Amino acid sequence: MVKLKHEKTFGENRGLNMNIAVLLKQVPDTTAKIIISGGKVDENSVSKWSMSPYDEYALESGLQMKEKNGGALIAITCGPDRSKKMLTDAAAVGADTLVHISDEGVSDSTHVQQLLAAAIMKYEADVVLCGKQAADTNAGSTGPGVAEILEATCVTLVSEVNYTDGKYITMRPSNTGSEKVSTQGTSVFAFDKGTVELRRPNVRGIMMAKKKNIESITSSDLDVDLNNSNINLDSQTPPPEKAEGQKFEGAENVPIVVSKLRNEANVI
Amino acid sequence: MMNFTIIAETNGENLHPTTYQLIGAASSIGSKSIVICPNGKAESEAASIEGVEKVISVVGDCFDIFDGGAWSTALNTVCEGKILISASPNGREIGARLAAKRNIPIIQDIVSISEGIVVKRPIYSGKAVETLTVSGDAVITLRPNAFEAAELGGAAPINTVNQSADIKISIQEAINKASERLDVTEADIIISGGRGMGTIENFSHLEDIADIVDAAVGASRAVVDEWGMPHRMQVGQTGKTVTPSLYIAVGISGAIQHLAGMRSSKYILAINKDPDAPIFGVADYGIVATWEEAIPALKSALSELKS
Amino acid sequence: MAYEALDFYDVDSLLSEEERMVRDMVRDWVDEEVIPNIENACREGLFPDEWRVALGEMGVLGAPLKGYGCPGLSYAAYGVICRELERGDSGLRSFASVQGSLAMYPIWDFGSEEQKKKYLPKMASGEWIGCFGLTEPDYGSNPGDMITKAEDKGDHYLINGAKMWITNGTIAEVAVVWAKLDGVIRGFIIEKNDPGFSAPEMKGKHSLKASVTSELVFQDCKIPKDRMLPGVKGLRGPFSCLNNARFGISWGALGSAQACFDSAKEYAMSRIQFNHPIASYQLVQNKLAWMLREITKGQLLAYHLAQKKDAGTWIPEHISLAKMNNVDIALEIARVARDIHGANGILDEYPIMRHMANLESVKTYEGTHDIHNLIIGRHITGIQAFTREA
Repeated sequence: MVKLKHEKTFGENRGLNMNIAVLLKQVPDTTAKIIISGGKVDENSVSKWSMSPYDEYALESGLQMKEKNGGALIAITCGPDRSKKMLTDAAAVGADTLVHISDEGVSDSTHVQQLLAAAIMKYEADVVLCGKQAADTNAGSTGPGVAEILEATCVTLVSEVNYTDGKYITMRPSNTGSEKVSTQGTSVFAFDKGTVELRRPNVRGIMMAKKKNIESITSSDLDVDLNNSNINLDSQTPPPEKAEGQKFEGAENVPIVVSKLRNEANVI
Repeated sequence: MMNFTIIAETNGENLHPTTYQLIGAASSIGSKSIVICPNGKAESEAASIEGVEKVISVVGDCFDIFDGGAWSTALNTVCEGKILISASPNGREIGARLAAKRNIPIIQDIVSISEGIVVKRPIYSGKAVETLTVSGDAVITLRPNAFEAAELGGAAPINTVNQSADIKISIQEAINKASERLDVTEADIIISGGRGMGTIENFSHLEDIADIVDAAVGASRAVVDEWGMPHRMQVGQTGKTVTPSLYIAVGISGAIQHLAGMRSSKYILAINKDPDAPIFGVADYGIVATWEEAIPALKSALSELKS
Repeated sequence: MAYEALDFYDVDSLLSEEERMVRDMVRDWVDEEVIPNIENACREGLFPDEWRVALGEMGVLGAPLKGYGCPGLSYAAYGVICRELERGDSGLRSFASVQGSLAMYPIWDFGSEEQKKKYLPKMASGEWIGCFGLTEPDYGSNPGDMITKAEDKGDHYLINGAKMWITNGTIAEVAVVWAKLDGVIRGFIIEKNDPGFSAPEMKGKHSLKASVTSELVFQDCKIPKDRMLPGVKGLRGPFSCLNNARFGISWGALGSAQACFDSAKEYAMSRIQFNHPIASYQLVQNKLAWMLREITKGQLLAYHLAQKKDAGTWIPEHISLAKMNNVDIALEIARVARDIHGANGILDEYPIMRHMANLESVKTYEGTHDIHNLIIGRHITGIQAFTREA
């Protein structure tokens, strides 16, 4: 397992040098049609690619943290070439450093986590922000998995993160509402949708982003060995056809419908 | 026929129903389960489930609060092989950390499992399904309520082990506020009312149901314009367009303007006393009944399900 | 479904990455802030001030102008901004056209260094709203015979006359007004509080309701000498401004057409009559196909015009063609879209008749359809057919 190279300590002067890594993933827009062809999702037919929605909250939080505490925001993505566009969009709202890790066709989440963690260490991040799950896989493994590789603390489902006096203070849900928790040392925060308003880019940001260089790195630059996975993707198929609508007369059928909602439709 | 390692999850002092579903899933492909009970909870209950080979009760003060890193460190030493966990928020986190720790793959939120081992999971918010074959060790998390639960009837041995791990999270403040009801654009389940509800006061019945299933409450334009329901609740052409997993339309006829706002819902349940209401044309499940009869029945059926 | 603009020949893929990022920024803002509020703004007959603020913050005002705090974007980017704004509402795009092409541009091209420094940055940020005073009650298509007069009184100018149909007039801090000084048309910068100047709002419009339309009234309006634009004399001044605005409109009208097409298509797919969606009937498909045809042609016209504008290889007649064609087809598309929506099309639940009514103004202002026709006729034949006189 890889270990963080630097043991960071936080003092009053550190504020200016804080490196905030934000992990971003480009996914088909959540409104885009998904077309299956030849047993696989046809990426070429995707009409619009966007930043995964929960990642947008991580990015906004990172920008606010940078504005409050100083430092630099490093936007990192692991994906194909087309995901570089998303990094430029991140620059348009204020990301300072743009890092594109070529995914080399890898989709195994453990491999992706290793690449991301290696990049986080290479760019000497002090804190890592990401979305709670990506809108394509809806998995949620990246935040905690990357934290594990970095031997860092992880808090998931956070709605905001603040940094004061060497500690990260964050809000996460609890059984009775929500709770304010703090962590020390290198931490990974995985964001749920928050109340924070996402900023818009403006023309100045867009023009400056256009000039911003994207650092392109590969698994060999990061010294990560992408060994064979023991998962095989057999196929991607359309969801099962929905049955014809079923109509019932009378309220006595309510329990039947409710159990169908659970067992047939799996929606409650 | 290998054993699965199962990480149990509790609901108070009892096992969460999902733990029964994990054990049932293992049994369905002819495997037995080794159930790990974090924090020593519900170990006897786990031991009495059919299909359980043995129970390992892990105790230590690292379970005082939820810190995925601490929990996974403590549980890791007693895990082996293929590990099943519920795809709850905590389960997903523990699973991801275990997988990274053990350098094995993780597959989250599966909805079916068969010999091979072959698993299926929804992707792109359910717009497609992925079928995967797992050949070695892995962590697999299972979607709640997608698998049949195992029954009681076993008598497995219980081993207790002490584990410790550093907790890196500390709670500063607990904020016990009732969370605000979700907005229609965010909720996975929406229950909407139309003119058929009679009066704005009757919406309280829909709110009761919303509270049970963590839903948002929506409204048709008629109700917003004529009864003063807040505009942000309006679903339709001039209101919000929503795409929940379940849209329950009560006393809504289904005019084209309303359909424009909700026809992309994954599943639609319509309750209306008029059998010819256009809403039944788009509903997956339709109940022809007055809301006075159907809503109380819905409330009790859902309460029972959730308990 | 989030809005997807019809782009059948993939013309937007010809835009630069920067132009597409600007497009997406404006499109998202229109989706989030304009579409949910426009019908109400239209009913109330007001232009929400938040939109002025947002346009300033996004940095899209005076899009193609360089320096003095202006965006310095390409003309294609300016076109895209107009298109995305007008997908929301023509009145919104009119605000931006007037601000950028009719008020900021003349100061930028014909103003003194002091004037540019004083006015442009605040207009680019949206802090000061501008308007453009050319048209008069009795002089519309014939601006050359205008009667608003400026007199040189030694230490000031005295302006007398009236302008009409002035977008933004009542809410503007700055007005660029064209008046005859000794028989020669010159540009003057009028400020809101100049004595003898008032800008009453024109009420009772059935079109561009979410936009402020005003009269500008000059009764012995006294302005300091440094308010005249030194860099231009004659109609070339206002016409240069109009060329820029017309360019933006050639793109803007497409936004309106795309919005009507999008609504008509969605409606036709959902509306069931005689047991089938009306989209399955031949006459409806014919209408939708015709709309797609005209929008696609219009897009190519606008795109190529933007390339010529950015390359400097354009003549005013090029702009006349695109403005005239794209507004004309947009209005027809709105009418046919209303037809497809049936009775529902008259409700403000759908944007159709708002676009349709707006486009009547867009077809009339910035050179009527007929005038542009004659501009092209003169270009073809060399013979002017505007007046009976030689």
